[in-house]
Amino acid sequence: MTGPAASPALRARLDRLLAANAIFVALLLVWLVGAAGSEAFVTPGYLFNVVRQIAPVGIAAIGVTYVMILGGVDLSIGAVISLTAVFCAVQMDGDAANTLPAILLTCLVGTAIGAVNGALIAWSRVTPFILTLGMAVAVYGLTQIYSGGTARGTVAPGFRDLANTRLEGLVPVLAIVFLALAGIGLAIQKMTTFGRQLFLIGSNRQAAILAGLPVRRTTVIAYALAGLFGALGGIALLARSGVSSTSAGQGLEFQVLAAIVLGGTTFEGGRGGIAGTVAGVLVLVMAFNLVNIVGLDYHLQLVVMGAIIILASALYGQLQARTGRA
Amino acid sequence: MALGTAALHPAWRRLDLASTGIWLLLGGVALLAAICLPQFREVENLANIVRQSSVLGMLAIGQTFVILAGLIDLSVGMATGLVVVLTCALVDGDSAMTLPVVLLMLALGAGIGAVNGTLVNVLRIHPLILTFGMLFVLQGAIFTYADRSVGRASAPLQTLANGDLLGIPIAGIAVLLVLAVAHFLIVRTRFGHHLTAVGGHAENARRAGVNVRRIRFLAFVLSGLSAGLAGLILAGRLGTGYPLAGSGLELDAIVAVVLGGTALSGGRGSVIRSVAGVLVLSLASNLLNLMDVSAFVQTFTKGVIVIAVILANQPRRMAMAA
Repeated sequence: MTGPAASPALRARLDRLLAANAIFVALLLVWLVGAAGSEAFVTPGYLFNVVRQIAPVGIAAIGVTYVMILGGVDLSIGAVISLTAVFCAVQMDGDAANTLPAILLTCLVGTAIGAVNGALIAWSRVTPFILTLGMAVAVYGLTQIYSGGTARGTVAPGFRDLANTRLEGLVPVLAIVFLALAGIGLAIQKMTTFGRQLFLIGSNRQAAILAGLPVRRTTVIAYALAGLFGALGGIALLARSGVSSTSAGQGLEFQVLAAIVLGGTTFEGGRGGIAGTVAGVLVLVMAFNLVNIVGLDYHLQLVVMGAIIILASALYGQLQARTGRA
Repeated sequence: MALGTAALHPAWRRLDLASTGIWLLLGGVALLAAICLPQFREVENLANIVRQSSVLGMLAIGQTFVILAGLIDLSVGMATGLVVVLTCALVDGDSAMTLPVVLLMLALGAGIGAVNGTLVNVLRIHPLILTFGMLFVLQGAIFTYADRSVGRASAPLQTLANGDLLGIPIAGIAVLLVLAVAHFLIVRTRFGHHLTAVGGHAENARRAGVNVRRIRFLAFVLSGLSAGLAGLILAGRLGTGYPLAGSGLELDAIVAVVLGGTALSGGRGSVIRSVAGVLVLSLASNLLNLMDVSAFVQTFTKGVIVIAVILANQPRRMAMAA
């Protein structure tokens, strides 16, 4: 760093560029490694199936990204996925006519839980991490009370088939739904005042309050959206599996978080976004598939996920410290 | 000072809920249980509560060290689970193996803490995220090793967990001993003073000559060690190495510490009150059990308690402004 004057500036620009796009490079690398190791990674049918497989996690991750840009976190999302999957199945009750009302009601439930999280966090100074962990336990208990501890409800006929149909015999509807919702999520982030305020509040909360930004309202909306996308994730899970179990979403919150952190949205807030999250989701699911293909124990996925959370956070922290100093 | 306090009687002004709240709560819950439920007063039930509290008691003591230092350790639940599985698998019912395995497990616990402490110093990431990631690494390790219950606890371990000495549960005595050492460490030693200084304001502590990295490292080592102790007792209680034995314990330990009035922001708190917090949680769970409340409702109640406790513990406005 003792070079000519232009060099540090150039270096900082490179760092910033890398920080912003690291996940896309990682996505390419993981895919190349996969393609080198297995025919499957160059087969479109397999790749689309991978997207379908991860759709519930991916959809839920869209909403949680808003919360994390804000500097918060939502660990209750796995419990919300479980509750909404069971709730939706019960509302459908095996009747195709119930499909739409059931979906709408389910979205309402998810949004309501998210709004409660948001309100509690907006009007207090608690750690969202622990608060939403508590909410996860409460919602999980609620799911068990509601379902009596066993699978309940019946998916409406046609619903599951529709979601798993492959357009042109290739692209599953569920994969398209995920990508479409990601597009909507990206539009909300990029084109609305809410989206811009998320970044302003996340990068400097105190300044945002002083500047008169609606910090509380934005917080409630962000958490409510996390709940809404969580419910959509629950519905997607129901569509994918066809059965509603009380613990279907258990642990998914950690995949959601790993994908988001991998995608460049940090726990500190103020940076990242939906595009990175979608790439993070894809890297995660390909990494999981690689673990399987290589023949490693399935449980090593957990180790991979934990290592990703730690290393990605450390890496982005370093990059941010370097770009911040320049 | 807050506006209203001037009008209060001096005795009330001295009533600081952060330090006395837990004793009022503990007394209240115990009194309520003793009056409403005759089964509660039975000696066997009380001994059971003490035994049940011992695992969480150890973890809460360890967690108090990290939280006092302004850190947090989410990996202790899985560390406990790993110790349970390995203890039972290695001992496998053989009493002669107990001592070497116990020492090995305490070293393992401390080792996991040392890894946490080193990584938090080297990678400079938030301890919440670091230990959160570590939670999965440990969970993956447990399940890779065993996806069903393995091994058998030896007789001495079962005595440690379930036995009595002069009518008092041995596990309870163990917690009291560890508690005494921990309290002494925090209140009477230089390490304890440095610990609270780092938690109160790390930068000021550094300028005053405290080795902040060393203190953080040691806090995590103590937390890991407490997970080792908790795992040994839990192994004796369960009698077999159940892979999921430790899941969720980290949250319970944090809730107990917070219940005891230790600030999540660090620098202020007490191990004794953390153990009182554990007793409150155990009493509440015992009460709900005696009242035949379903496990599902208990889970829901627990979540609500966590939320309520966290909301009640938030930093006060006056303290923030100062």
